[in-house]
Amino acid sequence: MSGLADLTLGFIPLTDCAPLVVAKAQGFFAEEGLEVSLSREASWATIRDKVLVGALDGAHMLAPMALAAGLNDPRAAMLAPLALNQNGSAITVSARLAAQLREIDPEAMAAPLITAAPLAKLVERRREQGAPTLTFAMVFPQSMHNYALRYWLAEAGIDPDQDVRLVVTPPPRMVEHLRSGEIDGFCVGAPWNAVAVEEGLGEMLIKASQLWPGGPDKVFGVTAGWAERHPGELRAALRALIRAATWADEPGNHAELVALLARPEHVGAEPEALARALRSEIVFHRDAAGLPRREHALWFLSQMVRWGQVRPELDLDAVADAVYRPDLFREAAASLGPVLEPAMLFADAAPTGSDLFDGTPFDSTKALAYATGFPISRVRTGA
Amino acid sequence: MRVLVIDPDSARAALVAEGLEGVQPLEVRRAAAFDEREVAAFAPDVVVIAADSPDRDTLESLREASQNNPRAVVMFVDRSEPGLAEQAVRAGVAAYVVDGLAPARVRSVLDVAMSRFALTQQLRGDLAKAKADLESRKIIDRAKGLLMKERGLDEDGAYRLLRKLAMDRGKPIGSVAADLLAFAGVLKGDAS
Repeated sequence: MSGLADLTLGFIPLTDCAPLVVAKAQGFFAEEGLEVSLSREASWATIRDKVLVGALDGAHMLAPMALAAGLNDPRAAMLAPLALNQNGSAITVSARLAAQLREIDPEAMAAPLITAAPLAKLVERRREQGAPTLTFAMVFPQSMHNYALRYWLAEAGIDPDQDVRLVVTPPPRMVEHLRSGEIDGFCVGAPWNAVAVEEGLGEMLIKASQLWPGGPDKVFGVTAGWAERHPGELRAALRALIRAATWADEPGNHAELVALLARPEHVGAEPEALARALRSEIVFHRDAAGLPRREHALWFLSQMVRWGQVRPELDLDAVADAVYRPDLFREAAASLGPVLEPAMLFADAAPTGSDLFDGTPFDSTKALAYATGFPISRVRTGA
Repeated sequence: MRVLVIDPDSARAALVAEGLEGVQPLEVRRAAAFDEREVAAFAPDVVVIAADSPDRDTLESLREASQNNPRAVVMFVDRSEPGLAEQAVRAGVAAYVVDGLAPARVRSVLDVAMSRFALTQQLRGDLAKAKADLESRKIIDRAKGLLMKERGLDEDGAYRLLRKLAMDRGKPIGSVAADLLAFAGVLKGDAS
């Protein structure tokens, strides 16, 4: 008996739930003395609510969701002591839309970084013709996917609130909605972009690794209260998840990982689609992918300010430091021995300029100025 | 008051809708999935949604977008008495209401939804158990028949032998009976 409480952890059917599924299936939780049940959930809102009321001890979570949870109610404050992955998402448009864009500018369509330029032309043309606005889906208001899609559109001069229609669609339904024509494109995590491509329904225009090399995505989230009451369980869970992330990065384990994720109780998608993002996109552990970086938290918060989800008066640094806990990650990682280059443990010690695809530098010490400096934004003003 | 029940489980949705009909003057509709046009046309005051419906995230986004919308959508549990949120989440129910609706009215809707969800779960559990019991009784009867034939026992003797095997192995009698039938099948060459 380890003396540790049994845990129930939630996840959404996406490739980046891998560290949780692997830690359970490979026995890493058990080796840390934890008896863990995994609970597949249907929505991010349910993940958040169940973690808040304690029906789940922790979960696979959208990083900005963890940051936003405590903003209106301090009792709902969450912690992100571990980043589950880097990259893995992409922006995909329907095959029909891709063909129209290629007609407008075949050269731009061959260069992922400027694929939004022909889209801007098409949006303008449709406006002149009085055609209905294009609809793009993402997964949640507070998600990397919403911010990435908005950033990409706005960088090409497309106002995401006025020139197109943005809707929220659950990840497993994206492909179905693209097929039915309800949406023209989406930004979602793996494997759903690859599923659309495999079925010949869509084309990936830009991947997260091109949009923001090394950019953040999901975290492991718990409430601050739970972390305080269960330090032993948290540390054991982090150790198991870090070991699982290391295992999942290993190319030699990918066939087994794909088989595990393909099971209906996990992601339940076609193995070939699952294998795609693992080959070249998603990173779970190497390059300090597990470190919840302060500058990532501040970038998310800057986008919340930019799009009017929070007021610009919010103390962004205080929120980032309260929720993102690289110290907890470091402590767990260091206790495991040499799972990381020692230098990587402190990779965020001196924040480096973190640039997105358009080259606009993001300096986390000037997050507010960055948030309010975009030509297209919804920064809230007045009382 | 108009209430929309969104639940991919149509039997449960019907039960919730039926329960609500009796509560107070209201119009209830149910849908398996969220449909924006349908919702806009019906203009519900309350949306009761199952936690296992993936459409919850879409409703969350409407709540977000309604900052400048006169029919602001809020999640009921946000401002309700402590404990209710937890109760609803554990029962598998969430509710979104148009701002300004009296909390007591929403509470009664939510109470009905929670009790019907619990009832559905109990009924499903009972049904599964009844099916399993019936199945296990059939298996025990077949195993008894096998022992009677092969060992020349009477029915009572066959049952006592099964019970003894179950007790020696610390397993339910139904599972010992199933093992026995499976082995008999293998010996006869049924299984391959």
